[in-house]
Amino acid sequence: MNDLVQLMRPEMLLLAQVVFLLLFDLFAPDRARRHTDAVACALFLASIAVGFLPSTTGEAFGGMFTVTAMTQVVKNVLSIGLLLVFLQSRVWLSDERTSFKKAEFYILTLSTLLGMNLMISAGHFLLFYLGLELASLPLTTLVAYNKYSDESIEAGAKFVLIAAFSSGMMLFGISLFYGAAGADGLYFDVLSSRLAATPLQLLALVFFLSGVAFKISLVPFHLWTADVYQGAPTSVTAFLSVVSKGAAVFALMFLSFRLFAPLFEYWQYVVWALVVLTITIGNLFAMRQDNMKRFLAFSSISQAGYILLGMIAGTPLAMSSVVYYLLVYLVSNLGIFAVVSILENNSGKVHISDYRGLYRTNPYLSVVLMLFLFSLGGIPPFAGFFSKFFVFMAAADQGFYVLDFIALINTVISLYYYLLVVKAMFIADSENPIPTLHTDSWSRLCLTLCLVGTLFFGVFSGIYAFLSSGAWGL
Amino acid sequence: MNEGFLLTALATAVVLVVAGSVIALIVAPRTKNEQKGEPYECGVLTRGGTWMPFRVGYYLFAILFLMFDVETIYLFPWAVVMKGMGMQGLIVVGLFIVILALGLAYAWKKGALEWK
Amino acid sequence: MDIASITASQVIFFILAAVILAGSVMTVVSRKLLHAAVYLLFVLLATAGIYFLLNYHFLAAVQISVYIGGILVLLVFSIYLTSQVGEKMDEPGIVKKTVTMLISMGGAVFCFWVLCTGQFPYADQIHLNEIDMHAIGQSLLGTERYQYLLPFEAISVLLLACIIGGILIATGNTKKED
Repeated sequence: MNDLVQLMRPEMLLLAQVVFLLLFDLFAPDRARRHTDAVACALFLASIAVGFLPSTTGEAFGGMFTVTAMTQVVKNVLSIGLLLVFLQSRVWLSDERTSFKKAEFYILTLSTLLGMNLMISAGHFLLFYLGLELASLPLTTLVAYNKYSDESIEAGAKFVLIAAFSSGMMLFGISLFYGAAGADGLYFDVLSSRLAATPLQLLALVFFLSGVAFKISLVPFHLWTADVYQGAPTSVTAFLSVVSKGAAVFALMFLSFRLFAPLFEYWQYVVWALVVLTITIGNLFAMRQDNMKRFLAFSSISQAGYILLGMIAGTPLAMSSVVYYLLVYLVSNLGIFAVVSILENNSGKVHISDYRGLYRTNPYLSVVLMLFLFSLGGIPPFAGFFSKFFVFMAAADQGFYVLDFIALINTVISLYYYLLVVKAMFIADSENPIPTLHTDSWSRLCLTLCLVGTLFFGVFSGIYAFLSSGAWGL
Repeated sequence: MNEGFLLTALATAVVLVVAGSVIALIVAPRTKNEQKGEPYECGVLTRGGTWMPFRVGYYLFAILFLMFDVETIYLFPWAVVMKGMGMQGLIVVGLFIVILALGLAYAWKKGALEWK
Repeated sequence: MDIASITASQVIFFILAAVILAGSVMTVVSRKLLHAAVYLLFVLLATAGIYFLLNYHFLAAVQISVYIGGILVLLVFSIYLTSQVGEKMDEPGIVKKTVTMLISMGGAVFCFWVLCTGQFPYADQIHLNEIDMHAIGQSLLGTERYQYLLPFEAISVLLLACIIGGILIATGNTKKED
């Protein structure tokens, strides 16, 4: 029992927070409810702190739920991401149009995180599937949160359809695994010993991976991404593009390293093609965007390609570089979203062409945004450079030189469009730039944290060493 | 299950229905007039389209019904083994019910149970 | 397959499968939402029939009470919520229709071929006798291997989140929005 509490500590804490916040929202007096966001953030911060305390690893529920050093790390990474989203969403939530459903935002995001944790720790397809549903269904509501805006509703409808469709594909894949590996083959440890690359199993793998690819929005499963990212409230977009995508990446990573290891040589080809398509098409479309949220959607698609590039090698080095990449992507991208949502909340402008002359009116915001963009693009002193470097190293280590070369060319292309935004802010002039804004303290804290991460994750080699200590290969 | 029985039942059902309609088609007398095409053969004539959007309240009730329908389904297997499971069974099912009861409390408090 | 060796359960299976197939195709092809929902009803009913055929009585009951009694009713309500109830949806163009049909038929044939040529070495593990409710209860609430307490609790959280989400989207607001 004590062991179980240790193993499931993050999940139990999340459940407790969901229940507490729900009760708080329902029964606390109005005066206290005004501070819902402070309460939620404080609780969540405490639970993250607890998450860093040492804890045991192992299995529970007869192999249904597994905890390794690496699953603990990635759960903490996702929690930190959610905390940063909380910090930057406060202004939007305090708006009178959304403030009355503030608590629901926290409850739904926390239960989503709970689903992600279950998905990451799952040792059985049933739990994996339930975690995935828990991680995507409440998100529909969040995407359609501004329910009187047509865009938001449209995005919600698209999201729920895509979620249902991809779950359906995945379930079909799982049912084929069930057929090919028997009833107890739904347990990952049993299934991996029964995988023998029969056509049936490969078909199952294809369907299963397609389902996951929708969640990570890899090309050609990316068509929903831009519309949903654009229509959803900016804070929810931030959550979708970082935490939700990150969880799916981690789940895919653990599955492919643990479960699909016997089929490794087959899915390697698939992943090769997916990486090239995803990075290239994401980049090409990102260049054409003017809406910042659509721009970030395509940029995040191409970033997903780099993450997958790290995964293809299948070594412990690959695993640690993927987690490291995601950590750096998390701080850089959430930093960008923080700036975008500050600008959107104060001036209602989300287009890159609106950012012209931003440097003269809001110098700090522009510089900070520039640093995050540089990091995302992979310009040397920032963490983004190192994360890209490690991912390339991991792939080169296993002889994927051509793939690395294609990715490298794409990195240069991506610099072009990241610099377009920088150019708009610093060089281009505008008749009426966005006026000087006041940034609230919560967003400032979020920006500071992201900035610290972006600057120091690259310099402190300790983080990478720590990640590789928990990694394992095929 | 006894397949022969099921097949017989199925065949009987099909034959009865088909035979009924075919016999009616052959022997029943037929008349046609305008009144037969109306929604009601007596009373006031309906005006305007009959298709109109429902109130959202129906949908809310349906969604709540569905949630608790699913909950009930999960309670059946527990009810069967309740005695054998003892305290542990009670606790885990208690947790399940409490979490869902929170959903009911939420619906109640937010006024989803009121007909507006 | 030898005609003489066909058992009654196989005949029933083929009838049900035909209903499911025809119903699914009609659900997708039908241009009226309400008609599509009714075709879906047949699909769900026939699926319940297959569960009965396999002696999974509990599952069949769940199928009927949740899918037909709950989800389908919800679906019909939500169709009635739309303003264009009863209107026909636009017919897609002939090119779109042909291409979609070719792709989906191709995919279906390919899957069918893989399934037909595939091996199911562990098929004998699957029980075909009726499963006792006690066994279901035990495995639903136990914590050992082949027992499913954790997913059971996860479902409650999932349902809670869905209740909250559904109410949030469907209720009118106490305060005004844009």
